[in-house]
Amino acid sequence: MIEEVARAVLCLALGEVVARTTAIRIPGAVIGLVLLYANLQWIGRVPDALGSLADGILKNLGLLFVPAGVGIIGYLHLVQSDLVPIAAALLGGTVVTIGVVALVADRLTRSPQAMEAQNAPT
Amino acid sequence: MHLHELSALSGLLNQPSIAIGITILAYVAALRLQRRFPTNPALNPTLVAILMIVGLLALTGTPYEDYVPSAGFIHFLLGPAVVLLAVPLYRQTALIRASGGVIALALAIGVPVGVATAVGAACLLGAHPETLLSLAPKSVTTGIALGLSQSIGGIPALTAVFVIMTGITGAVFGPAVVRCLGVRDPRILGLSVGISAHGIGTARAFQIGEVPGAFASLGMSLNGVITAVVLPLCMGAFA
Repeated sequence: MIEEVARAVLCLALGEVVARTTAIRIPGAVIGLVLLYANLQWIGRVPDALGSLADGILKNLGLLFVPAGVGIIGYLHLVQSDLVPIAAALLGGTVVTIGVVALVADRLTRSPQAMEAQNAPT
Repeated sequence: MHLHELSALSGLLNQPSIAIGITILAYVAALRLQRRFPTNPALNPTLVAILMIVGLLALTGTPYEDYVPSAGFIHFLLGPAVVLLAVPLYRQTALIRASGGVIALALAIGVPVGVATAVGAACLLGAHPETLLSLAPKSVTTGIALGLSQSIGGIPALTAVFVIMTGITGAVFGPAVVRCLGVRDPRILGLSVGISAHGIGTARAFQIGEVPGAFASLGMSLNGVITAVVLPLCMGAFA
């Protein structure tokens, strides 16, 4: 198990090094994600301990956002003054995005060629 | 520790064990509440736990700056958690190969439309710049969205709440919108909900079926990685 913790933390640390020493503004953790994905491609499978580690942490992912979210307490004035634009962006933006993705993807994949792909086992 | 510090919970929240303990307790209580009312999407456990802690800080007069460093270990775990998203993504490599076309298409539409509709609508309605920057990563899975918000100059705390509200919106309205538009392809249902409403939308898609769930999960992870690469570049171009 500890080897797999080391693997994940090492990917994270390398990601941070890349993010901080280059002009790339991608968050270090995302670079770490790509590094771990590349590493898994290289070894060709997910080690069992890594699988359980990932499942355990990702199942309780919601807990990890709580401290960050509590920070909203310091920005209530901003939320209050921008309440209408925020509501429009969150409600309208999300519903429109779902509709546009569904509609365009559906129309564009309904060409004869795509119908074949659609019937393929998913 | 002085006696007067013990008299108020305010002083206690400085202690990591207490801040972390209370955060986990609040989350467990929120999870139980959700299990009690599983059909109510507004009872998102993260949102409920945040409100509980905000209430506690307000009641005890604890400044946020006292709580955050103490609960820092929970926040730190977000980094490894984002890295570990590579594991479910790798497990779905076969799915990516089999349906690469429709996945790429949905991402090519969903990633820019998701950012543009949010930032565009808020900008037209006169939101402050820091609100706009915090809204930009709203469709991205929270762990990635927080880092992204920070690197483009947004406020991560606002982004956290925006991301959760986006997820709830997508989970509540997404499947109905897709059905009303006459789209029957379960892959497209999953992709549109996962790309627009990340983990919360993905959980909803899994309730509908395995296929929409798997595609939603893919849409969520790939949107996260792609937005993390593209958004800072675009912001750099405008800055």
